[in-house]
Amino acid sequence: MSHLLERQAPRQQSERQAWNARTAGVLLLMAAFLLLSGCATGPRLASPVEMGVAEHTYIDGVPFHAQRDYQCGPASLAMVLNYSDVDVSVDTLIPQVFLPNRDGSVQPEMQSTVRRYDRVSFVLDGNFTSLLEELDAGHPVVVMQNLSLPLWPMWHYAVAIGYDLDEQLLTLHSGEEANRLESFRRFDATWARSERWAMVALPPGELPVSVGPRRAMDAIASFEQANDAEAALPAWRSVTERWPQDAMAWFALGNAEYGAGRPEDAADAFQHATERQPDLAVAWLNLGLTLEGLGQRSEAHRALQQAASLPSRWQDDAEQALTRFND
Amino acid sequence: MMKKLSRVLSPLLIAFLVLGSLPVAAAPQAAPANSLVTTQDALSADQVSADRERINEMLSRQDVQDQLVAQGVDPADVEARVAALSDAEVRQMAEQLDDLPAGASVVGALVFIFVLLLVTDLLGLTNVFPFTR
Repeated sequence: MSHLLERQAPRQQSERQAWNARTAGVLLLMAAFLLLSGCATGPRLASPVEMGVAEHTYIDGVPFHAQRDYQCGPASLAMVLNYSDVDVSVDTLIPQVFLPNRDGSVQPEMQSTVRRYDRVSFVLDGNFTSLLEELDAGHPVVVMQNLSLPLWPMWHYAVAIGYDLDEQLLTLHSGEEANRLESFRRFDATWARSERWAMVALPPGELPVSVGPRRAMDAIASFEQANDAEAALPAWRSVTERWPQDAMAWFALGNAEYGAGRPEDAADAFQHATERQPDLAVAWLNLGLTLEGLGQRSEAHRALQQAASLPSRWQDDAEQALTRFND
Repeated sequence: MMKKLSRVLSPLLIAFLVLGSLPVAAAPQAAPANSLVTTQDALSADQVSADRERINEMLSRQDVQDQLVAQGVDPADVEARVAALSDAEVRQMAEQLDDLPAGASVVGALVFIFVLLLVTDLLGLTNVFPFTR
């Protein structure tokens, strides 16, 4: 009898362990759901007046291209490019942006492909408010979502074209559905998983309303590198108009003027840059080199001396240039 | 006969080749003796140090071209695709192409996960099934 009890004891113990494990599992799952739904409250937004946007908006005339297979990337690009008066088809875009072995398209190539059609790709700052501001300004926005959970991702590109703050609804051309309505809450839950990646494609000279100078300049510098200075000129001009006090904007405009073969205008822009920020050595350096090319040796000399006197990465270059003025 | 001919021809050929290459070498430089600092360099001045970075950039552009071919992109399209990338994007592609999310709207998952996703869809956390709206 006694060893019968002894034999039973381990079984009871293992049953109890199994029950404990099952309860723990259920509790864990419930905790996970609570945690997940806890994260998934809708985006907290300021009032429309505070955000400076309309109650609702819908961008008319964004063409819809239904995606085939896994090609939501090329389809989304075609929609925003067509809307921006670029005549390009999904079929043309597929070999330019799609990765066959990945069955999808990656963000850097979404950005770069826009540049091939003479449009600047601006990546937004990942705020829900910025998305609304761009839509309000009439800029359709390419967004990346993970429609599934992080562990089993279902990455997807769509084009946001409108919103309604009253109804808390976003309008998207998405997948095989035009004008799909998604609640802010569900959209934000899926958008947050791509770290809220969003992009607008605009002709050089137009700027997104929600970006700061640095973000705008990075986008335009990338555009200029892929295209040329002449094409980027209107974009740089618009940056100096929007942020006239930003020295780097004038510096970049100077480089574009120079690259487009207008050294006099370049010197003017560099001059503006040095006035905005007298310790911007790189602007003094480029001003000096440009003036030297224009044959204005004494002004060039003065600018290069300024560049050489300021501690910066370009000090050596400035001193190197100054040796040409020694005689 | 052949020898004589070649003795006459080779100095001529050499002269032509040298002359032919001269205009290129002597072509006037568009920029003044020192070329200007580019906007990209100036903007990235606080992030990276220039010259070594530029060499790395060239190497990684080649690297990204190879990677794109490996991903099934037509070699004829690869060069133009890489040319349109900015330096930062090239770096991103070279370092982590395999980890970058590729927008495709397919989910590679097992059946029981679909049940889970159905629940999360109903909770409004995901958007896998169109009919759960």
